[in-house]
Amino acid sequence: MKDSCSSIAQMLEKYFDRQATDQEKSLVENHLSDCTICQEKLGDLEGLRMFIKAPVDAALRQETFPWIWERIEKGIRQERKLSWWESLRSWLDLSPLFRKRVWIPAMATAIILILVTSPLLFFKKDPSYSERSVVEYVESGVYNVMVYESENAKVTVIWLFEGPQNESPAS
Amino acid sequence: MNDKETELISRCQQGDQDALKEIFNQYHKKVYRIAYGVVRHREDALDVVQEVFIKLFRSIKNFKGKSAFYTYLYRLAMNTAIDHSRKAKKAVFFSLDEEGSFQPSDRPEKRPDQIVARKELEEKVRWAIDQLPQDQKATMIYREIEELSYEEIAEAMGCSVGTVMSRLHYGRKKLQDLLRDIVNPVRNSSGV
Amino acid sequence: MALRGTAKRISSFMKKWTPLLVFLFILFFAFPPLAPAQVQTRVRVIEASNVGSVIDPSLRDLHGQLGSLFRYTSYRLLRDERINLSPNQPASVPVHQGRSIEITQVGLQANMAELRVRIKRDGADILNTQVRLSPGRTVLVGGPKHGEGVVILALSANF
Repeated sequence: MKDSCSSIAQMLEKYFDRQATDQEKSLVENHLSDCTICQEKLGDLEGLRMFIKAPVDAALRQETFPWIWERIEKGIRQERKLSWWESLRSWLDLSPLFRKRVWIPAMATAIILILVTSPLLFFKKDPSYSERSVVEYVESGVYNVMVYESENAKVTVIWLFEGPQNESPAS
Repeated sequence: MNDKETELISRCQQGDQDALKEIFNQYHKKVYRIAYGVVRHREDALDVVQEVFIKLFRSIKNFKGKSAFYTYLYRLAMNTAIDHSRKAKKAVFFSLDEEGSFQPSDRPEKRPDQIVARKELEEKVRWAIDQLPQDQKATMIYREIEELSYEEIAEAMGCSVGTVMSRLHYGRKKLQDLLRDIVNPVRNSSGV
Repeated sequence: MALRGTAKRISSFMKKWTPLLVFLFILFFAFPPLAPAQVQTRVRVIEASNVGSVIDPSLRDLHGQLGSLFRYTSYRLLRDERINLSPNQPASVPVHQGRSIEITQVGLQANMAELRVRIKRDGADILNTQVRLSPGRTVLVGGPKHGEGVVILALSANF
């Protein structure tokens, strides 16, 4: 490593991040023109950035954010709670239920619903095979797991891949 | 902060959800980038985005305007994403049919083993990022993914530019060591 | 008169059908239900690698699937076991390098068997899954490194 490499080292990252002053930029570019070691270091920085950034860019390009705003609204609604007094008052106020024009149609509706739904409850249709996935559940405390199911090839793949801290591969 | 943004924030602080929606429209992609940069998983990143804007609506009353709004939001996004990534690993279920081409041999990148290889690489990168101390992790994400300037990162993290540069330097060094085999496999295998 | 005619018809009906009704009654109530069917499960342990380009002849039925799913050039059969599984009776097969696979039949319908599959290392679970297998369907469990390649377990069932 040349002596000047150590003096360029800190400026190299600033140069890579486009945060160097004009003077620093000029010094770095002059040094890079004939220092392969620093060129390789710059390459390493670019490679690392690519591994961190490229998948994020790719994910964002494909992302349509389905129903995200609706889920946010729902989350906000769920967080809103009535004040304790309003809760108590609404809980105690049962009087509307006892009006004839409420309970008679309500009872009639309940009876009709029971008559219509009871055959469905007792004669529940089992979902056909094609509606169910082959894998009911999978768990592993050691591996990360990916499941690939395909109807066409009549094959299901459960693939285990190791995080670096998991059991070491067989030699 | 421009006047329009100031007005939106003020309306949001008073509980106006339409104002929140406008803020969401403006910033959700940036929040997603930060979230994905940390959790490296689509569904988790979308959960983080949802959580960030719900938290924002709850906490925006605390925003006093002393810093830029986006640094406040980025800090919220980063903390939420890091908290989310601390949760236990879970199995990844997906059907390659959803990835597009069902005939795996049609396009090499759609083959299960290629997708597995990509997922393994992603997992390795996520693991490596997870090994960084929180401050280094956040600094790396802000710089490498959002390409914030040193000053912007310093404002988002409440530190000096010198501290930002130091965190970047040590964060990059650690990641290069952890990802040595994949960042530069040819050079590293030849021992250079 | 009409009543006598009706009684005669009923009596004739009973004489004709009583033996069959008695037989059905005995069949239904006197004999216990048939024993649950066994499921014959086949477990093949395969080493997949890019060393050489040999496909084990015993894997011919899987060749098309393996070739379309993976990019390995060589598939070597390490072990081939057929196990008859009775309901809720686990059966264990050693796999490789201290690992074993334990399979239990937990359910059986006309066209589908539910199997719980556990892969263990030194007695502890490293994978726990439950799958539904119909005749002709294969489940491949793979990924752990083995030598120059990986191990893939191929599970299929006949019943």
